[in-house]
Amino acid sequence: MSVRGPRKGENYELSVDLNSEYREKRKDAIKRVIASMTVGKDVSGLFPDVLKNMQTDDLEQKKLVYLYLMNYAKTQPELVILAVNTFVKDTDDPNPLVRALAIRTMGCLRAEKIIDYLCDPLQKCLRDENPYVRKTAALCVAKLYDLKPELVIDNGFLEQLQEMIADSNPMVVANTVAALTDIHVAATSQPSTSSSDPGIFIITTSILNKLLIALNECSEWGRVAVLNALARYVAQDEKESEHICERVVPQFQHVNGSVVLAAVKVIMIHMRGVRREELIKQLVRKMAPPLVTLLSSPPEVQWVALRNINLLLQKRPDLLSNEMRVFFCKYNDPLYVKVEKLDIMVRLASENNLDALLSELKEYASEVDVDFVRKSIKAIGQTAVKIDAAAERCVNVLLDLIGTRVSYVVQEAVVVMKDIFRKYPSTYEGVIPTLCANLDELDEPEAKASLIWIIGEYANKIDNADELLGIFVDTFTEESYPVQLQTLTAVVKLFLKKPDSSQGVVQRVLTTATKDCDSPDVRDRAYIYWRLLSTDPGAAKAVVLAHRPPISIPRTTVSPALLEELLGEIGSLASVYHKPAETFVGRGRVGADSVQRKGAEFADDALSTQKALQTVVAGQQAENLLDFDDEPATEGQPSGLAATEVLSQTPAAANLLAGTSSNPLDDLVSIFGGAGGGLQASAAPQSSFGGLAPFGSGFGSNPMSPAPPQATSPGVPMGGASKSPAPPQQPQDDLLGLF
Amino acid sequence: MAIDGLIVLDNTGRPIIQSGFRSTSTAYPLLHVDAFNSALSKASRPQDIDPVIYVPAYNNVESPSACCHVSCGDIRFLCPVSGDDPLFAFAFLRTFIDILYEYFGNVSATTMKENFDVVYQLLEETLDSGGHPLTTSPNALRDIVLPPSLLTKLLSVAGANINSTINSGSGLGAAGGPFSSPIPWRKAGLRYASNEIYFDMVEELKAIVNKHGVTVSSSVWGKIETNSKLSGTPDCLLTFTNARVLTDCAFHPCVRLQRWTRDKALSFVPPDGRFVLAEYRYSPNPSTTPASGSASATSTAIANLAKDNVPIPFSIKMAIDLEASGGSFDITLTSRLSTRPLENLVAEFNLGEGSGAIKCVASRGLGGFGSRLGMESGVPGNIGASWAFDSNKKVLRWEITSIPPSSVWNLHGSFSTSTSVPRPAHALQVRFEIQSHTFSALKVEQLKVTGETYKPYKGVRGRSIGNVEWRW
Repeated sequence: MSVRGPRKGENYELSVDLNSEYREKRKDAIKRVIASMTVGKDVSGLFPDVLKNMQTDDLEQKKLVYLYLMNYAKTQPELVILAVNTFVKDTDDPNPLVRALAIRTMGCLRAEKIIDYLCDPLQKCLRDENPYVRKTAALCVAKLYDLKPELVIDNGFLEQLQEMIADSNPMVVANTVAALTDIHVAATSQPSTSSSDPGIFIITTSILNKLLIALNECSEWGRVAVLNALARYVAQDEKESEHICERVVPQFQHVNGSVVLAAVKVIMIHMRGVRREELIKQLVRKMAPPLVTLLSSPPEVQWVALRNINLLLQKRPDLLSNEMRVFFCKYNDPLYVKVEKLDIMVRLASENNLDALLSELKEYASEVDVDFVRKSIKAIGQTAVKIDAAAERCVNVLLDLIGTRVSYVVQEAVVVMKDIFRKYPSTYEGVIPTLCANLDELDEPEAKASLIWIIGEYANKIDNADELLGIFVDTFTEESYPVQLQTLTAVVKLFLKKPDSSQGVVQRVLTTATKDCDSPDVRDRAYIYWRLLSTDPGAAKAVVLAHRPPISIPRTTVSPALLEELLGEIGSLASVYHKPAETFVGRGRVGADSVQRKGAEFADDALSTQKALQTVVAGQQAENLLDFDDEPATEGQPSGLAATEVLSQTPAAANLLAGTSSNPLDDLVSIFGGAGGGLQASAAPQSSFGGLAPFGSGFGSNPMSPAPPQATSPGVPMGGASKSPAPPQQPQDDLLGLF
Repeated sequence: MAIDGLIVLDNTGRPIIQSGFRSTSTAYPLLHVDAFNSALSKASRPQDIDPVIYVPAYNNVESPSACCHVSCGDIRFLCPVSGDDPLFAFAFLRTFIDILYEYFGNVSATTMKENFDVVYQLLEETLDSGGHPLTTSPNALRDIVLPPSLLTKLLSVAGANINSTINSGSGLGAAGGPFSSPIPWRKAGLRYASNEIYFDMVEELKAIVNKHGVTVSSSVWGKIETNSKLSGTPDCLLTFTNARVLTDCAFHPCVRLQRWTRDKALSFVPPDGRFVLAEYRYSPNPSTTPASGSASATSTAIANLAKDNVPIPFSIKMAIDLEASGGSFDITLTSRLSTRPLENLVAEFNLGEGSGAIKCVASRGLGGFGSRLGMESGVPGNIGASWAFDSNKKVLRWEITSIPPSSVWNLHGSFSTSTSVPRPAHALQVRFEIQSHTFSALKVEQLKVTGETYKPYKGVRGRSIGNVEWRW
């Protein structure tokens, strides 16, 4: 960076013009300098020349010069000193705009050398008669704190800010609150500070009242700042909680969406302290209209609103029960909005709106966008699983869709049908022939695996089951591992159900799987089956054909503890991503602040343990935060044992899942011994999750209702799976011995 | 901490203007520009990029952040946020864009570049470097940032210093300087030679109609746009004859909420100039809407569906034949209005990937003559229907400037596709306007202005726009 440009060229000309004797010419030159600066040209060499133009009566020119100073103060701190005198003089200017401008610019310069000169003028400006100057000065304190906290504390600026909360001008109050909050965040993010640190902005009852008064009078942005401060306040008793809620509710009628969401946040937080059912109902009822109103906004605002509505619905499912039609997707909606709407539509599904919902979903399934079509079909499956009365109609819609013979539609429909079979066993066997008729069209592993599972499950009712499975056995080594696993299990099921006709095929598949297959999981499972079949067919039946608990759709996609936390951050990135804030964003917020928050809000240790686990999982997904729904595709493995292998790819998730198990299959444990117990333990929760994998955000989102102490105990299953069956010495002989 | 800064990109993804960032690293804004550009290049349709892009940290010291973005004309506004509140960022962006419109009339890369000094000043006044929005009310902004008008330019050439009022701070009335008004949204000491206030009720119908012609979902969103030019501190009271049609209201902060809750009247001291007094949703049958409980709404809810819907002012019959590598269509639109014309109707039909070779005839009435360009003004009754095909977006647009009551219009034609299976959209997007009409039939009963001695001129207008998806 040269200090002086050459004697010709653009910069030289600018320099000449900046020193011109004509005012207009100088002003024009400054504009050109700023223009060059904007497009990234280096005009720092003109610093002294620009500085000369700082003292002027023309406010516009002054602003432009200040703009230049702010841009280059970092690289030319020595030169900025030259400007200090003018700055200090300007803070005494009779025009309040000039005073405010000077103090604001000084705060933005971020040059160490200028800071020491800032304190005196700041002191004056904080007491200025003009509110515009006062509010600008208030924010300046926060910036000063950022650079040199001790200066703020030594000069008593904090006390002054505290007093300014009672200022007569609501705008000053709002900016003071914003400044104090900034300081609070900065102070608490340093782990060294204790709670007695003066930097912390503690909201007392008297401050609370001032805030509540200012809330109705200040600008929209001020309201957001005040509401955020209110969200941090810990109410003393129920009466105070009620009072806060009642005072905040009118903010729902503000036109600015961010005010509305901030108000929703405050209500959700302080509603925890309200016990009167009547009032809670009333508050929830008042929350619905403003949320619906947000849906008339541009798509990006809709998206944020939808993500938050999704969260709110998990806590209060009755919130928008009559409003499903508002969420119907339009062809022109951006994909991200459609996907969210779809999710919410399923959440709002009930017997009353079923027909409308299904005809919508069917409509979406004929759209052009493949991703959206698949999600719509999944939504049909979720509706069927969620509402018993809907199942039959859903199945009919799915059959219609299969009739279109569009490849991806058929495949997705098959996957969804599998879930319906899981939920309503032996109810819709009539559709099996239709499904099997589409066997040739399936080329995606998930769809194939699903159909194979269905065939295996209903092997005794399908006359040509052995033929159908035979097709897959023939191509066994070419298939993907999930399909191999399913084929293996299905053939064994077939064998157990129809031993006479399928002896050959089971032998063929076991041989291929143990000899020619390169996946250890497939091979191991084949060994287990082989061993089981050869030693105790009764046990094999008990294991392979065990009754599986029906699946259900979880009401929440995040753990209750996390849900509570996210509801406390409505409107923020955390609530948009449905992840705890510290896992992805935030300037050092993991520090004392979050610990404190947890201490205050959930004094429950168990909850934070759960959250820690949750965070681990969330952390795994942190990389692709934005595509929540892509991942679960791999989880769709249906049957009990098959699940374990899939799960083993993500040990932490398996741990989590295992931890939540109420283990209805405990009695089967003895068959496998200790290690096998682990298998079953994790198989059980899988059976309730696998089917609804598309619903949420993958593993991290499964509900963790039971207490977590056992969460870490069944860490064995993956290892156990491959160890437990001793490799049979003479498999053929063993098997033959069976018969 | 809310907003880190603001970046304006041109349509090639290069930054034109950016605000000062407090971040210690100069790479921070660049990181966001890059993240946005790479997301844009990956997306198949530009409107499908997630509105909040996750931006990973470039080193371990900084924490990751997110980039909120909005497009407007040919430019993009990026708003990096590292704390929280994406909606806050969007709300600010929207406000800032509104301010730009207010100042420049339109927003494009060219206007940004031509007026960069004003844009910079606006940025400085509206967004604090700490991320707090400051002054966003156009009333107050006009006091501190002069809009670029021809007059100012002329005057500055002539050498006159019209900035003197601002510069001295004395010309702003006895109260002394800006922001001294006791009412934050209204300037003190306003004087107008003729006092006027106008209310524009603008209602937008958003509806989806299924292939059987049944309205699946419809809602009307209304806005009361106000333009106030009143002297002093007038206190207005606006009453309606049928205020009950307004539900889910949101108001400008000037409206006294208690008064509204008590007797459904809008009592307010208006800001100066243009502002949106209220936004509302119109539901034809308000008694069924309150979500008093899901139990009450079992069978009645279904029965009321028909009543709940706002009637669509036209009907469409679509016949589409798809064959290998092409198809033909015949669309007939009939106005259901009996007195007013539908205006500026635009129907858009996305013909899907690979479509082309469009042949169309747009005509009025069943037996009307076709007109490729639709500009044959000589043929009576065939004025102003035209069609065009946007080969980039694969969208067929059918435009009719004015549809008299009960008239019938037709568009039929064919297209071919490069793919063997044509996949046109299953819906027609129809936009239209109706002048001097509101769906809610909201009627102003009276506007009372107290606190001032003059009698202002008052005006009320209604206007409807519609956005209907018609499936086939």
